Amino acid sequence: MSTNIREKLSDNVYFNEINVDRFKTMRLTAIAMLPLEKETASDFALLTQVLTRSCEEYPDFTALSKKLSSLYGASLSAGVRKAGETLALTFSIAGIDDRYAFDGDVVSKELSELLLKVIFEPKLMDGVFDSEEVEQERRQLIDLADSEFNDKRVYANSRLIGIMCENEAFGIKRYGSREDILKSTPKSLKKAWERMLKGASFEVFYVGGATAESAKEIFKEKFAEIDRAPEKLHTEIIREATEVKRVEESMDVAQAKVLMGFRTNCCKDDEGVFAMRLMNVILGSGTRSKFFLNIREKQSLCYYCFSRYNRFKGILTVESGVENSNAQRTVDAVLHELEEVKKGNFTDEDVRLAKLSVASDFVSITDTVTGNEEWFVSQLTDPEFLSLEETTAKLNAVTKEEIIEAANKLTLDTVYILTGKEEFDAD
Amino acid sequence: MQIKEYESSKLNEKYYEIEHSSGLRIFVLPKEGYRSTYAIIGTPFGSINTEFDLKDGKVRVPDGIAHYLEHKLFESEDGDAFAKYAETGANANAYTSFDKTCYLFNCTEQFEKSLSILLELVTNPYFTEETVAKEQGIIGQEIKMYEDSPEWRVLFNLLGAMYHNHPVKVDIAGSIESIAEITPESLYTCYNSYYNLHNMALSVVGNVKVEEVLEICDKYLKEQEKAEVESLFPTEPYEIKEAYTEQIFPVAVPIFNLGFKLKAERLHTEEELANLDILLFMLASSTSPMYRELMDNGLINSTFSYEMFEGSGYSAILFSGESRDPEKVAETVKAYFDKVKAEGLDEKDFADAKKATYGDALGSLNSVETIANMLEDFYFSKRKVFDYYDAITNATLEKAMNILNEIDTANSSLSVVKGE
Repeated sequence: MSTNIREKLSDNVYFNEINVDRFKTMRLTAIAMLPLEKETASDFALLTQVLTRSCEEYPDFTALSKKLSSLYGASLSAGVRKAGETLALTFSIAGIDDRYAFDGDVVSKELSELLLKVIFEPKLMDGVFDSEEVEQERRQLIDLADSEFNDKRVYANSRLIGIMCENEAFGIKRYGSREDILKSTPKSLKKAWERMLKGASFEVFYVGGATAESAKEIFKEKFAEIDRAPEKLHTEIIREATEVKRVEESMDVAQAKVLMGFRTNCCKDDEGVFAMRLMNVILGSGTRSKFFLNIREKQSLCYYCFSRYNRFKGILTVESGVENSNAQRTVDAVLHELEEVKKGNFTDEDVRLAKLSVASDFVSITDTVTGNEEWFVSQLTDPEFLSLEETTAKLNAVTKEEIIEAANKLTLDTVYILTGKEEFDAD
Repeated sequence: MQIKEYESSKLNEKYYEIEHSSGLRIFVLPKEGYRSTYAIIGTPFGSINTEFDLKDGKVRVPDGIAHYLEHKLFESEDGDAFAKYAETGANANAYTSFDKTCYLFNCTEQFEKSLSILLELVTNPYFTEETVAKEQGIIGQEIKMYEDSPEWRVLFNLLGAMYHNHPVKVDIAGSIESIAEITPESLYTCYNSYYNLHNMALSVVGNVKVEEVLEICDKYLKEQEKAEVESLFPTEPYEIKEAYTEQIFPVAVPIFNLGFKLKAERLHTEEELANLDILLFMLASSTSPMYRELMDNGLINSTFSYEMFEGSGYSAILFSGESRDPEKVAETVKAYFDKVKAEGLDEKDFADAKKATYGDALGSLNSVETIANMLEDFYFSKRKVFDYYDAITNATLEKAMNILNEIDTANSSLSVVKGE
């Protein structure tokens, strides 16, 4: 069984220990949260990659990789994600639990120390990051930015958010733009690193069987040396759409991608957030949803059609892939299903089963190492973390009326359709 | 009914293998402290099994039929299986690969009911003209979704370049044209041959006891007469068909797949597989000099990866990634493999690679899903799970070198998808 302990190490720095002994591996993750801004997103994204490429002690990536491989193939990874208009810089190390090492090797302590080293003791040259290493990572980040276009589903989703949130920080991509990536310098990265240590809010998560005491102590020591001044984190919530934006683009694709974005007038800090989560399940998430049963199974319009609720930003997005000629029909079908939920055309049994399915998914995620961490990461920037039981209880308390109310808060903001060229021209 | 027990004290795991009286092969691995249970039932009927020999003659079925059958099995006369699973809160799914079809669920309560739904699903086919027709639109869109995936295209273009005749080169879901030929009768033919319990295996992992699984199977499964079926494959030359293939597609960063085609008379043993995994880690992971060279020269990014790809009649080592110069990548990889073949492997690197491969394999034992899938895969490949782990511990430089010597880098194909 697991025990969760949350301890404050410094100003806006928390260490979360999730003690579980049923896994064969451990994982330590540090998340630094900063405001999502156009000017700095690329610097921060690039910073995470440069930091986990080497450090003072293992000064190039082959040396660091070899160290990881000698630690039973431990993995060190980093990335950025958006939690509303907060940019979360993530640094993780994962490796085997000491009980499974050969000949009494002790691995976990070294892993914790290694993560600390990459975050706090980077390899610097003349007081800034090594320009060759920055160039290597810049090239890769540009590839990442460019390759978003490769996958048409990812691309279409990114276009939807870009159009819908054009004038909001949320419209900024997690790694900024290609132009901004080109502007980063060893010096601007050094500045970003210092800003992160001083101004970010930190959540550290440890999942494993052994005690996290030593990892916690080093984090504490490191932060004690820093003059902390945590920055304010805020997400702008647009409550209602005033008009529907509609953008159609064409490309040489086999299938049209239909995307829709709604304002939900309900975000994580609002009362109705649990009702909105269940509304999303009934409308468009899973094999019992209205989208699956009607748009896919009854009308055979698509293979996939689902909705996703972003409680950080208070928006709900819908994605589907259909024949070019069925694009408008799909938009209408989605609006029709939403109308059904708004009118309350679903049963108490639907509500009960939606709750059952969500509760079951919750329990299942605690059976994976990353799931234990993800449970809390999904609550980043919340004033307090809820346990699985607390969240389940809140979901179970939601009534059918509250779900109808949630559906009625939705307003359509943006429709984005990516169609294949030929049919598009013929239309 | 015989219950065999396999235990590994080193891994702290134990599982049971049962030849159930119905004919079904059952594996159960209880995980202490877990709250979820994952069950998966599979048959060795995948996209490559389009020609087979029944007692009364040979049959050829349309491409994509295994996948189509997977979709249709979810429906029965009294409704759709997803609706039944909803009653238990279980999360259900299914997939079709090159060489098998599997049906699965993950649940945290009402295990008996969920397992009974799974067993009923695979033992009660219901195909009519109408239900078969309805699926054309859905699967048609699934096929088109994959057509828009450059990763999918680059892989099938590679398989088409490596293989002359083997059906592994055909898209798993078939084509819009081939699925139009599928009828209730052809689905029943496949079903009756491959969905015979004697040809299937069930694996259950997590919060479960072996007695529980057997009791449910006793209750819901009737003894079946064994169905004889033999999959037929066309003769496939050892040599690749084409060295290079390219497709123009709207992508911003070109992507590539490089494949070393290997002999495929039989599947690799646990020991060969373990040594191969260690060898590939040494030669192609981020710790290798080759990776370093490719990176330093700006030829790859962190999407670079490798995998062993094998099944009945096909076997290859695949490298994939994004690159602005895929041909240069292929050249570097081939030259590096040849160099190591000539010079031999480094002892210290081998020891580290062994540890890393072990650590990686150990991590798979955390997840009920991964373990259950591994039990299925290993059974259909006639391998034993713990033997693979032991083989990693017992791997030697000589064994790895023997594997390396079987790789002929000249017998390889490169597939590229790039923008105009």
